[in-house]
Amino acid sequence: MSFEDIIFYFFSAVLVSSALGVITARNPVHSALLLVLAFFTSAGLWLLLEAEFLAITLVLVYVGAVMVLFLFVVMMLDINLDQLREGFWKWFPFGAFLALLMAGEMAMVLMGKQFGADEMPAPPSRGADYSNTKELGRLIYTEYVYAFELAAVILLVAIVAAIALTLRRRTGIKSPDVAQQVAVKRKDRVRMVSMPSEKKE
Amino acid sequence: MNFLQPDFAPAYPEIFLLLMVCVVLLADLAWGEEKPHLAYLLSQFALLGCVLITFATSAPGVVYTFSGMFVDDALADILKMMVYVTVSVVLVYSRTYISTRGMLNGEFFSLALFATLGMMVMISASHFLTLYLGLELLSLSLYAMVALRRDSVGATEAAIKFFVLGALASGFLLYGMSMIYGATGSLNIARVTEVIQTGAMSHTVLVVGVVFIVAGISFKLSAAPFHMWAPDVYEGASTAVVLFIGSAPKLAAFGFIMRLLAEGLGSMVADWQGMLIILAVMSMLIGNIAAIAQTNIKRMLAYSTISHMGFVLLGVLSGDGNGYSSSMFYVVVYVLMTLGTFGMIMLLSRAGFEADKLEDFKGLNRRNPWYAFIMLLLMFSMAGIPPTVGIYAKLSVLQAVLNAGYIWLAVVAVLLSLIGVFYYLRIVKLMYFDEPETDALILPQGDVKLLLSANGLAVLAFGFFPQALMAWCAYAIRHSSI
Amino acid sequence: MTEMQKLYLLVPLAPLAGALIAGLFGRLIGPAWSHRATIALMLVCVAASVTVFMDVLKGNVYNGTVYTWMTSGDTRFEVGFLIDQLTATMMVVVSFVSLMVHIYTIGYMHGDPGYQRFFSYISLFTFSMLMLVMSNNFLQLFFGWEAVGLVSYLLIGFWYTRPTAIYANLKAFLVNRVGDFGFLLGIGLVLTYFGTLDYAAVFAQAPQAAAQTIEIIPGSRWELLSPICILLFVGAMGKSAQFPLHVWLPDSMEGPTPISALIHAATMVTAGIFMVARMSPLFELSEAALSVILVIGGITTLFMALVAVVQNDIKRVVAYSTLSQLGYMTVALGASAYSAGIFHLMTHAFFKAVLFLGAGSVIIAMHHEQDMRKMGGLKKYMPVTYWTMFIAALASAGVPGFSGFFSKDAIIEAVHFATLPGAGFAYFCAVTTVFVTAFYTFRLLFMTFHGKPRMDHHTEEHLHESPWVVTLPLVILATASIGAGWLIEPMLFGGYFGNAIHILPQHEAIAKMAAEFHGIGGMMAHAFTTLPFWFSAGGIFAAWYLYMVRTNLPARIRQAAGPLYTILDRKYFIDELYSWLFAGGALAVGRGLWKYGDVIVIDGFFVNGSARVVAATAMLMRRFQSGYIYHYAFTMIVGVFVLMSVWLFV
Repeated sequence: MSFEDIIFYFFSAVLVSSALGVITARNPVHSALLLVLAFFTSAGLWLLLEAEFLAITLVLVYVGAVMVLFLFVVMMLDINLDQLREGFWKWFPFGAFLALLMAGEMAMVLMGKQFGADEMPAPPSRGADYSNTKELGRLIYTEYVYAFELAAVILLVAIVAAIALTLRRRTGIKSPDVAQQVAVKRKDRVRMVSMPSEKKE
Repeated sequence: MNFLQPDFAPAYPEIFLLLMVCVVLLADLAWGEEKPHLAYLLSQFALLGCVLITFATSAPGVVYTFSGMFVDDALADILKMMVYVTVSVVLVYSRTYISTRGMLNGEFFSLALFATLGMMVMISASHFLTLYLGLELLSLSLYAMVALRRDSVGATEAAIKFFVLGALASGFLLYGMSMIYGATGSLNIARVTEVIQTGAMSHTVLVVGVVFIVAGISFKLSAAPFHMWAPDVYEGASTAVVLFIGSAPKLAAFGFIMRLLAEGLGSMVADWQGMLIILAVMSMLIGNIAAIAQTNIKRMLAYSTISHMGFVLLGVLSGDGNGYSSSMFYVVVYVLMTLGTFGMIMLLSRAGFEADKLEDFKGLNRRNPWYAFIMLLLMFSMAGIPPTVGIYAKLSVLQAVLNAGYIWLAVVAVLLSLIGVFYYLRIVKLMYFDEPETDALILPQGDVKLLLSANGLAVLAFGFFPQALMAWCAYAIRHSSI
Repeated sequence: MTEMQKLYLLVPLAPLAGALIAGLFGRLIGPAWSHRATIALMLVCVAASVTVFMDVLKGNVYNGTVYTWMTSGDTRFEVGFLIDQLTATMMVVVSFVSLMVHIYTIGYMHGDPGYQRFFSYISLFTFSMLMLVMSNNFLQLFFGWEAVGLVSYLLIGFWYTRPTAIYANLKAFLVNRVGDFGFLLGIGLVLTYFGTLDYAAVFAQAPQAAAQTIEIIPGSRWELLSPICILLFVGAMGKSAQFPLHVWLPDSMEGPTPISALIHAATMVTAGIFMVARMSPLFELSEAALSVILVIGGITTLFMALVAVVQNDIKRVVAYSTLSQLGYMTVALGASAYSAGIFHLMTHAFFKAVLFLGAGSVIIAMHHEQDMRKMGGLKKYMPVTYWTMFIAALASAGVPGFSGFFSKDAIIEAVHFATLPGAGFAYFCAVTTVFVTAFYTFRLLFMTFHGKPRMDHHTEEHLHESPWVVTLPLVILATASIGAGWLIEPMLFGGYFGNAIHILPQHEAIAKMAAEFHGIGGMMAHAFTTLPFWFSAGGIFAAWYLYMVRTNLPARIRQAAGPLYTILDRKYFIDELYSWLFAGGALAVGRGLWKYGDVIVIDGFFVNGSARVVAATAMLMRRFQSGYIYHYAFTMIVGVFVLMSVWLFV
């Protein structure tokens, strides 16, 4: 077993157990943190495959941005997970049984010759001056430009949808509008009313 | 590395539509307050423009561009045309409905156009990646449209269900695609076809890929047992959005099936044929039987859709050009009927009242005999009663199944659709033989009145002259990349 | 599409357009514009028909498909036209009589709340009838057949608030169903054994088919064509009201009079005659079928004429007269004198239309009183109606020089020459009926127009001639009733029908007559030496004697004849027999089936049982549709799992 193998098995073990932890932990904050761990370890696996750009992006985007946001939401919402988990153990044996069967079947397929090391050998390693960031960029902007643009459109949809779903134009809000307050004129404020005087009793 | 600038011409409709969505968004931001109908008009203009551009750029033969990710052929042109027309009709029907519910704003229309763009991408995809991205573009827009009615608990619940289950289905699909990629080493559909024909890879892996892909597609089609989102979403979402979900995306899903199953995995027909048989029978069974127990017409129509999708799968599973074109004919007819039926529901509803209960159709004949007649035509067509077009759709699909040698399947389909006749005719019975519960006037706008009448009569007209439409579908399939 | 093809299309489509305009927009455009539109379109239709007729006279025959409706396997269902001499003749007769009736209707239906509806129906009828006669295949024939039946049903029940009208239209519908059932079976046999519904293809195969036999009842073999022809003729019996399916026609007089003239005298009821003539290549090959036709025709001719003698309702007399005349046409078909049958169809269409429309004119004047015993002496009030009806009566009685004489005489001669079994009986009926026909026709005329007025004082004061829209069609049609007969030479003996009608050499009655035919003058001169002429004259004389001279005699004869009179008055008790046998029998069978079959087996087991199964399944499915996302997701995963397992391991 080479050094790389040891690292691989280490990361893999941590990845699988932390992923299990995500769905079994009682505290949602723990779940979120375990997910961060899972991302870290998978980034490590990608580094082993010499996909440096992807690995770093995973850490930056998912761990740095997405998960932190996620943690905020989880902490602010104060979800009672126990309530959500009601019925979990009732269905667990059945679900677990099915999951095992599926995992078994998948393993059977994936362990086959098709994905063996002979059919799919590890990619040859490149020299230090090889930049896979540059290679990715070149592909994205040439051959995959259509798909890339589509992904951009999907993000635009996500923005539109998020704004449409969260932005509320409330009517009848009592907050003051400073610009309007400043621009006000005297005649807007004071109305002269002439009334006939009343007789004193 | 030499890179040629791609030919943009085949994608002009997509480019134009994307530009127009941005225009709609910005115009609504700038003038939306004063001119609430601006977004509507711009959207209709965009669709009209797409029709013209697609017509102008349609060329005989199959054209690939964007490094083989985009294909333009007769199937793409015709399906896209149908999508534009369908979306345009949906918008006409929905305008009054959404304006009385305070949803007449840029978001609704821009999301609808984004969804349309997604459908176009799916229809024109010749690469697993574009297929998937188109599907996501469509689905994401649909999720948001369902959720647009934020103050309705039902709509929010429907949106969450739709979203979570849709994500699961997308996962299935991606997993299946990755299996195919693993086996063939390519994501390009034409290349995948070639590689599979060499037979140099593990059949097991391919089959697992096909299973997952079929599951993902079935979700989008709402075929059983991947149908369970449909009744809840149909019931919870606003009728305008349901009309949208139930109509044009089915055309796109048909295009998706053609590209992925018929073309890419065409040589695996022996494997997916059996899967589709199971799904089709389950869909027709569940759709037709569960519809009987419904009291909400939208829910009932959801089950009706499920059973219709079973019929569509029947045509696909026969696995030859005739089957595909009969299936396409069925989808087009289905869309035509769905448009009319939901248009009618929206016509009967008004501010604060959704005409989505079966009782709301009681005595419609007394209130307005013409609309009752139109609804009667639509229901007859859904049930497959001559002389409406529904019977031809069913007949052509059954013919394809018989040609493929599945006599028992045709018999089962006929028996199950007979059960379905019951709940369609129940609506007719309610309209004609029961006393109306309300005498509220039905006052549609001129364009809706005209379009809805035309829609209902089209069901009848195509019943008398089905050949033209049939020939169109056959042309589309024959001159496509399949 | 050539110019002529467009013209062919125009003939049926113009009345259809009229029907749609009057039917859909009638309320919008009002009564006046409804009749203007439909009549204008009928004029177009007549003009087009006449043009087509002229074209056909030049020898241009057309047979082609206009539109393929659908294809099922190798069988094509098409809309197509076969335009030959037979069709063209029918087209002119149908469109012309229809136009006259349209015009007449303006006066007759004036002020009726269903005015536009009526115009819509009669235009629709014209369309259906034209589709029927122009068809080049059995499917379209059947379509036209059913469509005219439907419109007839609607029109008999036009005044749907009258219970008698509803009863009559139901009766017409049910009796016609019996005939249509036979007709449909016949078409089914044709499709099974010939594999096509196209006339030309079927006729081409007919000679080979004649040699075929089929086994209907095990052990006995039939010639294939006999059951086919007899079944087709059963359809004709229903539509053309031949004994024993004639019962609906007298009752159909409940409908407005223009309908009686158009549908129940001139056109629809002749559809059966037309159909048999069209199928002459088939019928010629089955002598059994021809014999059946001869006998049925003979019975209808004589026995229906006898019933007409005792009727007092003016329209019913004409109705039974129609039945009897249809019997004549049928006899002609049985004697293979198809051209004579069609010729009589044409002359009859004209003179019977006059009789009906004239009767209608009288009915208007009498304020919808139809009993002849309450009429009399109308001649001086309604001269135009009288003289036109007089001409029609002469034609109907077969007085030489009038159209009825030529056509009826031709039929009688043809039957005389026929040699098939049953021909003797048919000849006897045909000759005897001449006397009866003359008698009842003139009885009608004398009772209505001559003698002392028997109506009440109030009605008599208001008697006057009908408006011009009523009398104009009468005059035109009466002219046609005189003139049409003079066409006998070209139509019967001049080879006019060409290949449209097919006659085998051994059935050449017409050819034998042609050999003895020496011009129209000769035929008329010869008539004075034959039995039919003297029968006819005797009939007129008897009517004159009984109803003009010794007016108390009929009542005494009635008493003396007692039971015989009752039999005729009750129309041989056929209606009673049918209601006892079929209605009563069906009720009894129905009750039995309902008690044991329906309630226990079907309702208990199949309907409620299967409904319960379906409902239970539906409820089960509702349980699955729990509303929880994880249930749904779980279902999806199970679905994928099952599919995967099946395809991996099975």
